[in-house]
Amino acid sequence: MSSSDTPSFQYPLSWRILDRAESVAGLWPGRWSSLTGYLFLVPALLLVFVLVIGLVYIFDYSLHELDLSTYRLKDAFSLVNYQAALKSVTYRIVVLRSLGASAIVTLITMVLAFPYAYVMVRTRSSFTRKFLLISLFLPFFIGQVVRAYGWLIILGKEGLLNTFITSLGLPPVKLIYNYPAVILGLVQYMLPFAVLLLAPAVTSISEDIELASEGLGANWVQTFRHVVLPLARPGLIGAGVVVFTLTLTDFAMPEILGGGTTDFIANSIYDGFFQISNPGLGAALSMILVTLGSVIVTVVFFLAGTGTLVSTEGTP
Amino acid sequence: MTSPLPVVELRDVSKSFGNVRAVKNVSFTLPRGSVLTILGPSGCGKTTLLRMIAGFDAPTSGEIFIQGQPVSSVPPYQRSIGMVFQKLALFPHMTAAENIAYPLKMRRYDPATIPGRVERYLQIVQLSGMGTRRIHELSGGQQQRVAIARALSFSPDLLLLDEPLSALDKKLREEMQLEFRRIQQELAVTTINVTHDQREALVMSDEIIVMSDGAVQQAADPVRLYREPSSRFVASFIGLTSLLTGRATKIQAMDVAIQVGNMVLKGRTADETIQNGAWVECALRAEQVRIFPAGKGFAEFDNALEGVVDQQIFEGDRMVYQVRCPALGDAPIFVFDHDPAHHQFHQKDDSVRIGWNAQDLLVYACSDA
Ligand SMILES: Nc1ncnc2c1ncn2[C@@H]1O[C@H](COP(=O)(O)OP(=O)(O)O)[C@@H](O)[C@H]1O
Ligand SMILES: [Mg+2]
Repeated sequence: MSSSDTPSFQYPLSWRILDRAESVAGLWPGRWSSLTGYLFLVPALLLVFVLVIGLVYIFDYSLHELDLSTYRLKDAFSLVNYQAALKSVTYRIVVLRSLGASAIVTLITMVLAFPYAYVMVRTRSSFTRKFLLISLFLPFFIGQVVRAYGWLIILGKEGLLNTFITSLGLPPVKLIYNYPAVILGLVQYMLPFAVLLLAPAVTSISEDIELASEGLGANWVQTFRHVVLPLARPGLIGAGVVVFTLTLTDFAMPEILGGGTTDFIANSIYDGFFQISNPGLGAALSMILVTLGSVIVTVVFFLAGTGTLVSTEGTP
Repeated sequence: MTSPLPVVELRDVSKSFGNVRAVKNVSFTLPRGSVLTILGPSGCGKTTLLRMIAGFDAPTSGEIFIQGQPVSSVPPYQRSIGMVFQKLALFPHMTAAENIAYPLKMRRYDPATIPGRVERYLQIVQLSGMGTRRIHELSGGQQQRVAIARALSFSPDLLLLDEPLSALDKKLREEMQLEFRRIQQELAVTTINVTHDQREALVMSDEIIVMSDGAVQQAADPVRLYREPSSRFVASFIGLTSLLTGRATKIQAMDVAIQVGNMVLKGRTADETIQNGAWVECALRAEQVRIFPAGKGFAEFDNALEGVVDQQIFEGDRMVYQVRCPALGDAPIFVFDHDPAHHQFHQKDDSVRIGWNAQDLLVYACSDA
């Protein structure tokens, strides 16, 4: 074959690149090949490891009292920070407020997200599905802080809503810097996460199963109660846990829409570190938050069974 | 009191999805206790038809009557119809017994009677003692049994089966066909069965409706359907059938002479409209053709031809030959030879003679003439 011949067929570029990559990968010793799968875990494990190091340092901070004369942490170990955090009525209210908000936001979000996910998955109209999908992803491009400010523009003292109210000759209403405003902002923030986590759960329920239930004599309420909800349970619990923990640890919404009136634990932690410059106290609050979250998640998964996390049942 | 009304009646039922006409003007009636099979290739509208009867879809036009009542406005959960789905659609979060109890609970049976009924239906489908198993702890065949028990436990007026056996392997499928037949006869439940498996249709039904492209091609009992297919499509869909195209040259009542290639064959037709000189299509069942070594005489057949073996397939109880006859313009003829070990095998490229009788060559007017 002469060099002037142009080959009639050439591998696509992507194949050639992958072939090169494969030949490089071929240098990996064959008897280690059983370890190859684990290799891909390394980056994720490293990230988790870094997180653990951070946590260990914070735990260490939390065990040292602030020396008010030097504004540095004392060397001696003590539980003073925890005592201060747990005894303080303010912090107790903050913790309860965060927990309460998490419960309320989780409940409202799930109630709103489930029909959304259900219609998005089940609709026959591709227009409806596209519309719901775009509406779902749009907020992700905007970010939490911008969305919070969006609420300020609408609900603020001179916001759109109040402009409308005063134009009717009514006195302006205080719509922000209160608990409901924070809840509202959080629900709106959590909704896309919940829908995204619920959609696969709905997809996994075959339409025939719902039809079968109807054919057997169940109206749609009964079908929902006896078939759809139980089968969507893993998704509901997963989504619920994500929304609950994201709310419990949220900072921006209570900061911006609460305006200092409705601090969550994260806001207190921030204040501890940066406002009153007491890293020991901030760290103790952080540890309390981590413990609270972990205990709640563990209890939920324990009650719900491990099948929630990784499906152990084959679906027929 | 048994009512004299048919359990199901369809009048001119059609269903369109946008431009697709999935079901076209289907009508039939089904008397109490009988088994109707709707047979047709995949995509011909069988599932759509069943879904309309069950109430999951509304007909675009036409009306469905159940026990004499029009049901367009009756939701599925108020119809008394048990359905076994193609993919069974059992409730995976319930046990076998809970699946069977589900329709009883939804239909507000006296709770005290439910365990007894569940036990009885577990017995009918031969799953006694397995009631506490989860669905995924049962084999494919056992899941079929749960599905049928669930569809029957509330004594529905009508049982619908949407190819529930299509996913099973051949042996289990044939076993379950007999099982369905037994249960159906034991409970005398009126049944509509849907399948694309001709054997299943012949085994299980009192009446068969052959569908293609959304429309009914023929409705008849299994024997008549097999022996007197009304069209080339039906003839080719059931059994192994050779197809020939030719020109009618002489017609005398039901006897037709057909010019195929440079041969004149003798055949029969039920179609009185066929004219001399018209193009016709002929269908010939493989089991009606005899095969002999070349040169052996067989004057007893109305049609006899020389040919060459193109392919031979050994199926144990029979040999299937594909024979090419130059005189017919190379159209292949399929031949079953039962008990071949008893006489002679023919190999590829062997010269053979084949023959069959006029009554077995079914002649139809050309469908696209
Ligand atoms: N929901 C639907 N939307 C659009 N077309 C459909 C729908 N359901 C069925 N069809 C079409 O109707 C025809 C018949 O389908 P189906 O009844 O499922 O056939 P079968 O059960 O005989 O295989 C097919 O062409 C299919 O594409
Ligand atoms: Mg189908």
